[in-house]
Amino acid sequence: MRNLIAKLALAAAVLGGGLGTAAAETANIWVRADGSNFMPRIVDAYNKAHTNQVKLDIIPNAEIIPKYGAAAAGGTAPDALSLDLIYTPSFAAAGQLEDITDWAKSLPYFTSLSPAHVKTGTYKDHIYGLPFSADASVLIWNKKLFKQAGLDPEKGPVSWAEIAADAEKVNALGGNIKGFYFSGNCGGCNIFTFTPLIWASGGDILSEDGSKATLDSPQLRGAIDLYRSMVKKDLVPAGAQTDTGANFFAAFAAGNIGISPSGAFAIGALNTQYPDIDYGVTFLPGKDSGWSSFAGGDNFVVTKGTTKLPVVKEFLDFAYSLEGQTILAKYGSLPVRGDIAKEALKDLDPRYQVAAEAMAKGKTPYSVVFNDLINSANGPWTQMINEVFFGDDVDGAIANAQETMQSIIDQAPQK
Amino acid sequence: MSSITTAATPAPPRARKVASRQQWIGLLYVAPAVALVVVFFLIPLGMTAWMSLHNWPLMGEHSFIGLGNYVAILRDIRFWNALRFTGYYTVIVTIAIFVVAFPLALFVERPRPLTNLYRTMFFMPAVVGFASASLLWSWLLNVDSGLFSPAAYDLGLIDRKFNLLATFQPAFWSIIVMVVWKVAGFTMIILMAGLQSIPQDLQEAAVIDGAGPFARFRAITLPLMRRTLALALILSVAGSILAFDQFYIILRGGPRNQTLTAVYWIFNQSFVSFKLGYGAALSMVLLVVLVALSLVQLWLLRKPEGLD
Repeated sequence: MRNLIAKLALAAAVLGGGLGTAAAETANIWVRADGSNFMPRIVDAYNKAHTNQVKLDIIPNAEIIPKYGAAAAGGTAPDALSLDLIYTPSFAAAGQLEDITDWAKSLPYFTSLSPAHVKTGTYKDHIYGLPFSADASVLIWNKKLFKQAGLDPEKGPVSWAEIAADAEKVNALGGNIKGFYFSGNCGGCNIFTFTPLIWASGGDILSEDGSKATLDSPQLRGAIDLYRSMVKKDLVPAGAQTDTGANFFAAFAAGNIGISPSGAFAIGALNTQYPDIDYGVTFLPGKDSGWSSFAGGDNFVVTKGTTKLPVVKEFLDFAYSLEGQTILAKYGSLPVRGDIAKEALKDLDPRYQVAAEAMAKGKTPYSVVFNDLINSANGPWTQMINEVFFGDDVDGAIANAQETMQSIIDQAPQK
Repeated sequence: MSSITTAATPAPPRARKVASRQQWIGLLYVAPAVALVVVFFLIPLGMTAWMSLHNWPLMGEHSFIGLGNYVAILRDIRFWNALRFTGYYTVIVTIAIFVVAFPLALFVERPRPLTNLYRTMFFMPAVVGFASASLLWSWLLNVDSGLFSPAAYDLGLIDRKFNLLATFQPAFWSIIVMVVWKVAGFTMIILMAGLQSIPQDLQEAAVIDGAGPFARFRAITLPLMRRTLALALILSVAGSILAFDQFYIILRGGPRNQTLTAVYWIFNQSFVSFKLGYGAALSMVLLVVLVALSLVQLWLLRKPEGLD
């Protein structure tokens, strides 16, 4: 009996406490598995410092889109999610996202937010997504192998000719050692690391608004020739031809690849998982000079009609604070606020500075059918890169991809 | 059958009561099975048919478009290409499975030393799921870290590692080998059961009449195995037309989209392009194709007239 009374008292206390902080709410947020390192940390930090709470679910990369679609149809979608930025236009086009234009523009640091993210987060002049995490593509080289091959280990290649020459020298070491690696059957990997070569030389594969495919350019052909020549000279392991992305990072991490295009994520991953690899980070160069980068990462988007908007805004505000940006940087994402990026990175591996600079000037193609065009393992981009790097009919492959991409763009739902 | 008899001949009330109670009990017995079929087959099938009449994106509003999806299918060259490839694959793999499974069945049918060991060995791959088997083979076939190519290279059989998955023919035949390895044991068991159901005395009588082994196989074994063959054939054809896992996991539809099967295309349309309604329409088309093919097979292997 006494026990019961005690329980009742406790229940009353809980109720009372609950009433006292009636404002405290919990928002549900999803993130793809790529964010499984930094996201729980920043959510923890937020929850400790605020009365409102965030509940986080981590969803496998390949499943987050279908799962979110199903949840939205069933009315159980999370209040917000951290979404691969390239999907923002198609989600916005589907009418799934809350328009956050006014709030976004009221942020004092709005203009220093990663421009590539804001661009993909904007659909028909309204803002539906804001930058959350960032990853930029860069070129990494193995300093130990460079030294063995008689190259300056502190100097990465700054033009296509240098990439080819350095890769050939490293390759000459023989044995298991190969000069260059790329995932030759992975559309997502190559939009990330191959198109910057084209951009840096002044070309592009899509028009600015994503309405035209512009594949057939001298810049694209030049970059293809670079890769083809390295494949022909046997500087690339045979497995590259069928690598759908599984070895995108692992090949270089094994320590017998001279040069590989990669992403900022590799810095964190190499430092923590492969501390023995001595590597350098530089920009993905243009043909003779210049450089470019693919600005990737996640946009933060809000599900249309959510009642937890204040919590979501508070959380995002926290993520944009110096504390939030530092947590992100420490656990594998680049900062997304340009004005405090240097400060957030100041105690970290100096190689992050290169990646942060790449991010700031990074570019992201804009399309509501990005998945169909580029990422799909059976899409025109993936098919083309495999054909042009390893096949015999470069002209036919480019023409075919150009036509298929344009027809996919033309058939996309217009709203 | 019983319902017709009871309805036709007016039975005494008591008997009718018993009969109808028996019917109720019978219904009760099949109820769980009926419920399963309704919940997990008929309702989803109805929903698929309903969705196929809509423009049904993964996200956002759906709208009724009548037969629009089906009209689009007519113009979808890549689907028909996928269906053609699926047909080609089905023919090749079914022949390959039977060519391997039939001799195996003849081999393990009669009791001989270690028969059980052989049966178990041949059947073993069948208990592995297709996805796990595909993952295993995707490693075996890997050119840098797998088994076949590196082993051949290390043994000096080839002077340069050969990427089996890079071009169509070797990639396609690698899949065929993998599927035969995985499925032949199962087909073998079905065929073996059929072989064992043939009465021994028929064979003996034929031997006495002077029939050789080939004549016996052609005139006794094959005709008496019609039903078994039909079962094995339909299982194999239906399984091959629905092939997906191995092409998705090992080849990703490659090299260069040459191994996209019909189901793979449906998956792509539904979950890569987010067109659920269109995917549903493609599924209905595939269902019709599959039912038609099964009917044709049943008709081809029907009981010949005058036999039993």
